[in-house]
Amino acid sequence: MVRFTAAALAAAFVVFAPQAQAQVPQGYPADYSKIVDAAKKEGKVVVYSTTDSASANALIQDFQKLYPGVTVEYSDLNSTELYNRFIAEAASGSGTGDVTWSSAMDLQVKLAADGYALTYDSPEIPSLPKWAVFKNQAFGTTYEPITFVYNKRLVPAEDVPQSHADFVKLLNAKPDFYKGKVTAYDPERSGVGYLFVNQDVANWPQAWDLFKAFGKENIKLYTSAGAMMERVTSGEHLVAYGIFGSYALSRSHKDPNLGIVMPKDYTLVTSRVAFISAKAKNPNAAKLFLDYILSKRGQEIIANKAELYSLRSDVTGEATLKKVEELIGDKARPVPINAALLEALNQTKRLTFLKKWQAAMKGQ
Amino acid sequence: MRFGWYRFLVIAVAAVAVLAPLVLVFYQSFLDAPFFQPVTHFSLEAYSFILGESDFWDAFVTTLLIGAGMTAIAVPLGAILAFLIVRTDLPGRGWLEPVILVPIFVSAIVLAFGYVVALGPVGIFSIMVKSWIGFVPWNIYSLVSIAVVAGLMHVPHVYLYTAAALRGLGTDLEEAARVIGANPWRVAIHVSLPMVMPAILFAAVLVFFLGFELFGIPLVLGDPQGILVLSTYLYKLTNLLGVPSYQLMAVVVVAIVVVTLPLIYLQRRLLRQSQRYVSMRGKGQRAAPLRLGRWRWPAFVFIALWFLVTVVLPLAGITLRSFVVTWGEGVKLADVLTLDHYRALLNFPNIERGILNTLAIGTIGGAFAVVGYTLVALAIHRWNSGWVRFVDYIVMLPRAMPGIVAGLALLWVFLFFKPISPLRSTLVSLWLAYTIVWFAYGMRLISGTLLQVAPELEEAARTVGASEARVMRDVSVPLIRYGMIASWLLIFLIFVREYSTGIYLLGPGTEVIGSLLVSLWGTGDVDLVSALSVINVAMIGIGLAIAVRLGVRLHA
Amino acid sequence: MPDLSIQNLFLRLGDNEILKGVSLTIPVGSVVALLGPSGSGKTTLLRAVAGLEVPYRGAIKIGERVLFDSERGIELPAEQRGLGLVFQSYALWPHRTVQDNVAYGLKLRGVGADEIKTRVAAALAQIGLGHLAARYPHQLSGGQQQRVALARALVYEPPVILLDEPLSNLDAKLREEARAWLRQLITSLGLSALCVTHDQVEAMALADRIILLNGGVVEQEGTPTELYTAPRSLFAAEFMGSNSQLNGKLASRGGGQAEIEVEGQRLRGVDRGGAAPGAAATGVIRLEAVQVGGADGGNGLTMTLATQMYLGERWEAVFTRGTTTVRAYAHAPLAEGEHNIGFPPEALWIF
Repeated sequence: MVRFTAAALAAAFVVFAPQAQAQVPQGYPADYSKIVDAAKKEGKVVVYSTTDSASANALIQDFQKLYPGVTVEYSDLNSTELYNRFIAEAASGSGTGDVTWSSAMDLQVKLAADGYALTYDSPEIPSLPKWAVFKNQAFGTTYEPITFVYNKRLVPAEDVPQSHADFVKLLNAKPDFYKGKVTAYDPERSGVGYLFVNQDVANWPQAWDLFKAFGKENIKLYTSAGAMMERVTSGEHLVAYGIFGSYALSRSHKDPNLGIVMPKDYTLVTSRVAFISAKAKNPNAAKLFLDYILSKRGQEIIANKAELYSLRSDVTGEATLKKVEELIGDKARPVPINAALLEALNQTKRLTFLKKWQAAMKGQ
Repeated sequence: MRFGWYRFLVIAVAAVAVLAPLVLVFYQSFLDAPFFQPVTHFSLEAYSFILGESDFWDAFVTTLLIGAGMTAIAVPLGAILAFLIVRTDLPGRGWLEPVILVPIFVSAIVLAFGYVVALGPVGIFSIMVKSWIGFVPWNIYSLVSIAVVAGLMHVPHVYLYTAAALRGLGTDLEEAARVIGANPWRVAIHVSLPMVMPAILFAAVLVFFLGFELFGIPLVLGDPQGILVLSTYLYKLTNLLGVPSYQLMAVVVVAIVVVTLPLIYLQRRLLRQSQRYVSMRGKGQRAAPLRLGRWRWPAFVFIALWFLVTVVLPLAGITLRSFVVTWGEGVKLADVLTLDHYRALLNFPNIERGILNTLAIGTIGGAFAVVGYTLVALAIHRWNSGWVRFVDYIVMLPRAMPGIVAGLALLWVFLFFKPISPLRSTLVSLWLAYTIVWFAYGMRLISGTLLQVAPELEEAARTVGASEARVMRDVSVPLIRYGMIASWLLIFLIFVREYSTGIYLLGPGTEVIGSLLVSLWGTGDVDLVSALSVINVAMIGIGLAIAVRLGVRLHA
Repeated sequence: MPDLSIQNLFLRLGDNEILKGVSLTIPVGSVVALLGPSGSGKTTLLRAVAGLEVPYRGAIKIGERVLFDSERGIELPAEQRGLGLVFQSYALWPHRTVQDNVAYGLKLRGVGADEIKTRVAAALAQIGLGHLAARYPHQLSGGQQQRVALARALVYEPPVILLDEPLSNLDAKLREEARAWLRQLITSLGLSALCVTHDQVEAMALADRIILLNGGVVEQEGTPTELYTAPRSLFAAEFMGSNSQLNGKLASRGGGQAEIEVEGQRLRGVDRGGAAPGAAATGVIRLEAVQVGGADGGNGLTMTLATQMYLGERWEAVFTRGTTTVRAYAHAPLAEGEHNIGFPPEALWIF
């Protein structure tokens, strides 16, 4: 009732003094206008992100259109750089990113758990999957299936593995053809790679069999998706295991030779995690930006312009949760954004896991 | 003695600029947590961890092997190249010199990626060769290939030092050998090159030293086989523990510094020796070049071959890649030609700013860097003091830090040294980082030209009554002004290709092409990477062309 | 203008002792030549006076004005010594015109623009190059460059002018002209000058006094005549003029006379000190004193003519006997075979 009155008052205010108060997105509480006003006073939001600015550009442009007067200062870095820079800047007390948006889920959760994130009850929380919200501090923003990609020119159609189990079978069936022709992230050198294989083991009991088959097949391990996809499309390698669906999708638009598979037995889904810095200099603008990328409007762009896969079920398009569900039903396995991710950062466990991985790479 | 003050002031500023990041890294190596955290303890744990890591030792040994291998390749090639160009009637020796230096100015990552496209297992040329002889006779992902590629790319460094030394050598010594009956090769091997041996050894130590900071080539070519060198081992180290562990990275840097300090010492010794050689030189500076006779064209082909493998192939690879949708086995390139990547660049946000910033940091930043290097070079110019040795070490030290660590350490400096903190998000911070990292290179350029000023010219000014400062202002600096302009162009070329150092200091508004390349590479957009690389190389090419046009002598 | 005096100067370059206690005085208005072979330290001494090298002991003064004194810790920098220095290479600044080169010293002394103009014009007129003021050094000939260098050093009227091998970069013909011109200019201006040279002819022609340096110490000091006619050491005797050497054993000495046994023959000469009878000794005689055809009093050797060379105004002949070689001048070509070679006792110095 009180809220209704406030909203009515606000509406009245809008009618009488349209300049004085900012417009509140539909379905947001009326007092959100205070945040908008404060954000406009702040005038900018500093975003540190692992999403390259070419992909994020549409999002930034639309945000600035929605909130004229709030500019986005966008820096793209790789996830380790982002982490290094953020904690150093936070410790120095000089400004750092207001919003940190990274695909390194574990590092993001760690930062939140270490108290670097602001607790914020975003009005978009009800629209998000439960697994995507960590303590109202860190929020999943995308729904990115982890895919296999392959060279359509050189891999026979019947070979294309449709599931993880198929992959094992294929490698055992045609060991000579695929020797040295399979590629994946190196979990020893890449954080993403570690996350993927670690989650495979958690989701699939036979994961180690696959890894051993990789080892026997002399798999080539890389540290960047670009290097892997480039070598798959050139034919130097034939199949890449564990590529962000978003990267694969945008690449496949340019190069029709690149085939993408979402494995039918289970498909890992990762999410870019965003949080507002606890010491943000522009906290209100940060809130606007976070809410925006979680909002339907922002997610439409994430899905259809940036091709990063929307995680909202009310967004349609090729790169959306909906589409992924269409393709693989209930086999999607989103990596939940919670304290379990911190285990991946436990040194002893990590080293033990990597030992086992090294053995698997020798086929043992 | 106001000039004494100037000297110490400049040395102090240079020392702070160089040592601050390094000291921070050393300090960090003895802690158990990031130094900026509220609670840290003194600990040697990081040392015991790293020294107990077999990967570290593997990377260490690999680094030594690659360093030794590239030295073994670069030194003889560079020395012979220098002899051919400086001393003989090789066809085209006038325009060959700038061409030879090209590898210095092209980003190693761009070249390495170009090698993958050109000579990789399904590279354009590999497939061609395969169609002739049935297999690809090389594997560019091996340790040997990395050493060979690195060696070929460092030929210009050896060339520069050897050529400079050869120019200082009287031709009469060679003519004497020629008259006695030695053919050009014997002259080179028995007379000319032995005479400049200290310079060659100096360059050899330098190349070995540069082996420690090799990054782009092992990153790209070592990736598939997981070949790690110390600078790429840092990546693995970070990931091994999930979160970046600065004390461990710091220990690796300490290890590199410990190895490189003796190298700097060795270099200084060699330099002194080479100066001793100078007094032995013959008379008769300008004489006719040695006639190669029937060796003329074979020698030219030899150089052309080197250039083909070192520059043309990789650049052709990257250029081709920027014009095709895809490439590799089973692709007819004619079917996949496109200009889309360049069109996409037009829509690329910040591209304009990236290009402008790159140009700005190259031109304006380069000019200020030259001024800075000149100030330091003047401060130790004709100064007989132990401090000169100190400056020599200071100058070389930034090279001991791999680019990524140097970048991080510089971020720390900008964050925790409050007076300069406000500069952090401006191009000034980037400029400072570049200037520090390229200190050794820039100083060599400037002190090289300063050394060419005959001491009497300065002494004459002293005796007619000019103070040291006046001498610098009225005589030394005016006399090296062309040298300074040449250095500016060379620094421009270096700054335009550089990025790794500034990676932590880049922000919105301060993007440079190099940083855009790296972030695109991470997300797999090789199309844009290749197109942007070509633009970067074109900028460098234009710079080089201007340099040659203006008759800049590219050697210091 | 007071005298320039150097007291007991020691100087080291790296590990090499260059000057080992040099003392000398340059009286006002005199031209002093520092003569010595290369490595004798003469250029270093000049540079030490100019303030370009730093001795570790000793003192340099102009009258009462101390330029350098190791004991009192005084070391005036080069620019405050107010001396003029002409470099061997002239060291003209290539980026400045002749006018600017010469004017620089005045400009540094805060002289007004107008006065600079007149004084530079006067200096250039003095050296006969007034019309070349606007040229750059590389547009001048060697001789002209040398004059400009001189003008640059003179224009601010230094108490002493230092010249480092001022004529060595000129070719032979030009050098003789320049020598006369230089001597005339210096004396007509009443300057004190210290001039380094390795050429004894040049030293004798230019200087009022010669200081002969050897191995970082003063070997002998005196007027050109003294040095030429009365060398006090074998080194001095050999360094000045053209000589022949007679190596042998000292036969006897006494009363200012000595006898040396050369090739089985005793020769009389002036005793210049040194060895005891029976020890090795050296006789030195100027070429022009050797008498072909025998000397009065028969002080001589019979020697074989080895070769002879035409020098233009005379002939130079080389005679040998055993291991001894003697050169002598002759007015006409000599016949092949043996000749009597005479050594006038008063011209043969025995060391």
